[in-house]
Amino acid sequence: MKKYLLLLSCILFFTSCTSVDNRLNIENVEEVSTFASNIENLLSELEFLKLEVLKLNSSKPPIQRILNEADAFWIRGNLDQTNLQLERALRISKNEGPIYLRLAHLRIEQGLNKEAKAFAAKGLLINNLSNWERLLLNVYFQHDNS
Amino acid sequence: MKISLRHFILFSLFLLLIILFAFISLINSKVTNKLDGVLWTVPAKVYSRQMVIAEGIEINKGMMIKELSLHSYIKKSLPNNPGDYSFKNDSLSIFLRGHEDQEAGLFKVNFSKDKVVSIKRSDGIKLDLIQLEPLAIGGMFPSHMEDRLIVNWHQVPESLIEILLSVEDQTFFEHHGLSLKSILRAFYQNVLAMDIKQGGSTVTQQLAKNLFFSSQRSLSRKLQEAIAALLIEFHYSKEEILLAYINDVYLSQAGTRSINGFGLGAEHFFGATLKNLEIDQLSLLVGMLKGPSLYNPRRNPERALSRRNLILDILEQESIISSTQNVQMKERPLGVVSPKFRSETKYPAFHDLVRIELNENFKDSDLRTQGLRIFTNLDPIIQESLAKSFKKTKIELIKKYGKSLEDLEGAAIVVDSRNGEIRALLGSSSPNSFGFNRALNAVRPVGSLLKPFVYLTALKDYKRYSLSTLLDDTRLTLNLPEGGVWEPNNFDKKFHGIVPLHQALWDSYNIATVRLGLDIGYEDTIKVFNSLGIEKEIPNYPSLFIGSFEMTPIEMIQAYQTIASNGFFTPLRAVREIRGIGNDLAFSYPYKIEQRFRPEPIYLLKFALQQTFVRGTARGFSKKEIKRFQTWGKTGTSNDQRDSWFVGYAGDYLVLIWLGFDDNRESPLTGRSGSFQVWKDFIKSINPIEFKDNRRELARINNEWVDLKDGLLSGQDCKNSISVPFIKGSEPLVTPDARKKCRVKEKIPENSIMDKVRKILEDLTE
Repeated sequence: MKKYLLLLSCILFFTSCTSVDNRLNIENVEEVSTFASNIENLLSELEFLKLEVLKLNSSKPPIQRILNEADAFWIRGNLDQTNLQLERALRISKNEGPIYLRLAHLRIEQGLNKEAKAFAAKGLLINNLSNWERLLLNVYFQHDNS
Repeated sequence: MKISLRHFILFSLFLLLIILFAFISLINSKVTNKLDGVLWTVPAKVYSRQMVIAEGIEINKGMMIKELSLHSYIKKSLPNNPGDYSFKNDSLSIFLRGHEDQEAGLFKVNFSKDKVVSIKRSDGIKLDLIQLEPLAIGGMFPSHMEDRLIVNWHQVPESLIEILLSVEDQTFFEHHGLSLKSILRAFYQNVLAMDIKQGGSTVTQQLAKNLFFSSQRSLSRKLQEAIAALLIEFHYSKEEILLAYINDVYLSQAGTRSINGFGLGAEHFFGATLKNLEIDQLSLLVGMLKGPSLYNPRRNPERALSRRNLILDILEQESIISSTQNVQMKERPLGVVSPKFRSETKYPAFHDLVRIELNENFKDSDLRTQGLRIFTNLDPIIQESLAKSFKKTKIELIKKYGKSLEDLEGAAIVVDSRNGEIRALLGSSSPNSFGFNRALNAVRPVGSLLKPFVYLTALKDYKRYSLSTLLDDTRLTLNLPEGGVWEPNNFDKKFHGIVPLHQALWDSYNIATVRLGLDIGYEDTIKVFNSLGIEKEIPNYPSLFIGSFEMTPIEMIQAYQTIASNGFFTPLRAVREIRGIGNDLAFSYPYKIEQRFRPEPIYLLKFALQQTFVRGTARGFSKKEIKRFQTWGKTGTSNDQRDSWFVGYAGDYLVLIWLGFDDNRESPLTGRSGSFQVWKDFIKSINPIEFKDNRRELARINNEWVDLKDGLLSGQDCKNSISVPFIKGSEPLVTPDARKKCRVKEKIPENSIMDKVRKILEDLTE
């Protein structure tokens, strides 16, 4: 009898152990999935942000022309050429929110979050930004803190 | 065994055939190896930045005209040829020569003051921007110094082929490498002259000769050349042969550099791309083939002109041009521009820096052979103006201080503070020769140039320090750990008592600065040095705070760049991008940026450094000029005046000047009497366009009137007062009784609802 009781208690012990394990696992999965969905949201936000940034135009025709060239390279996935065009635009005018926003997003795509933040911070020092540009620049400024 | 004569002849013939076969195979392998592989070693070309004229931007017109002349654009009343321009009534008409990113043609640019109002093509079409061709400033050459610019079939104008074949080889498309008619004609002429006077070579034979043989004239060489020509024709198409010829021909010598191929010939003699040359210009180049030295248009313009006109006559005979065109073209001058650079480069010191940057990513052998095109950030006008100011000021200094300054050396660097691009660099007092590059390699004591970094460390800690914090500039005696004492002294050998922090900086007081440094401590100061971009090991002894520390000019301007760009660290760059022969992007050096400081303490520091111009060691600019260029800067003088430094900012340009002797002897120059004079002359000569401060006002900055002596609150109407920026919360709180009357608080208008809404929005997005 004692033997059976011992066996039963052992089975119960192991079952409980496994059930505890299972419970823990379920919780982990939940955490992971929440985390994953957060990342997913974050990524989708970046895509959303990019679309918003690409919509921003310059009121200066030569800058806008260069931004169009940059965007065309960007759509084709040529990040180096996109960067060259954006730098070219920046040489012509240093006070354009749309250029800094594009540079900030481009740096994120290039995996350079610290630089993205710095471009956003530099953009935020410009006086004549629209509120929307300022808000977006703030999002990039806080991006790697989030 | 008896060998019959017949057998002997047969055997000899057989042997001869084998030798001939081996001989032909040898030449054949030479031909295919050379023409199938990399045809030529093509040196990398180095270019300046391109000048962009864009609608709505401001351009310094004086500088623009100077740049046009550097590009060999010629002022005409009616510009109708590539390279012509006119400038009347704020309107520029320019016939651009064109390049890959810019079509050639006539353009009209209208200005209103310095602003570009409109750009139109000659057909009236409105444009956003036009670009001048980049200026070739140097190259990376193989030891034989053979230089060329490879062109492809699409870059060769049809008229060049027509002229070339009319003059050099009329039956090119009919023969198979040799032209019997030409050979017989040459043979007849040579027999008449009893010497080898004339060649009957086809273009293919000339190519064979240029590629494989010496210029020695002998029958055996002629035979080899003929075999090689036949083999070339056997292996390659007519187009391939012509293109190889066009890229290969020798045209001229420029210093140690040999100019080869029509592509480079076009750039060297006309400053233009081959595709954009006119028939008369092409005729001149083709005419030069007969005797590159004899018909060199720069050395022998008359001979070159008659040779060109002779070619034009041939073109008329061959009905390539009409007789009217012939007459018109003969009236044109040769149109040759002065050479951009003769030997390796026009700007050796800048070239050193380009080489250093490139060596990190490219093998030296690739740079010398792969035909890369290196686009740099050099602004040729800034570079030329810098060299001119340097030379001019040195002459003035010699006049003032005597002949001991004749071997005074120096270095200078100009950086575009917006993005860290290096616009100009001088490494010695003789800017056109290679040698010790002081801008990059002279490690010198920096003196007071280091002080702003100590003050920045203090201002970062705004709860402890503001610009009006009082510092002690009385006698200081320090016991050194290794024994002995050190007593820092001021430049004027005086003690100044208790002084506000900003004054200690603009008057560059040593004792107050050492006390401040010791108060902050080495650790925090060194951290700030590192954040500014100083990467070398920094010692921790008290004289560090007043600059008994050695740096090179380039290291120093790197640190100041972080201040100029409001706390953003950006590695300085000489090179922008590198392209391959087919214009594909091979490599680029992107704008890197990292925020190292908040903008507020930098703002305060710049304010104090601007005071060096208003009332400190850099006086000499009018208030209007200071405002116009937003100047600020710092002088530096090392012990016994062995080094004279100045770093200053004006209208986006950050400029560093160093003067001193290579043997480190004492000089009569201080930072102010030496380097600052070069700086001043340079800034006045380039006259930067008005600095438009489009920065947002920093929300955490408050301006307060304070007393110049005690640093306590004062008022606009009080004597000896100054309006000083403070980080909110660091303002002085006390107004001495004597100043209460003259300190009238400015009336702040009541906020409208919209102001309040704006404030809330701003706070939200701050």
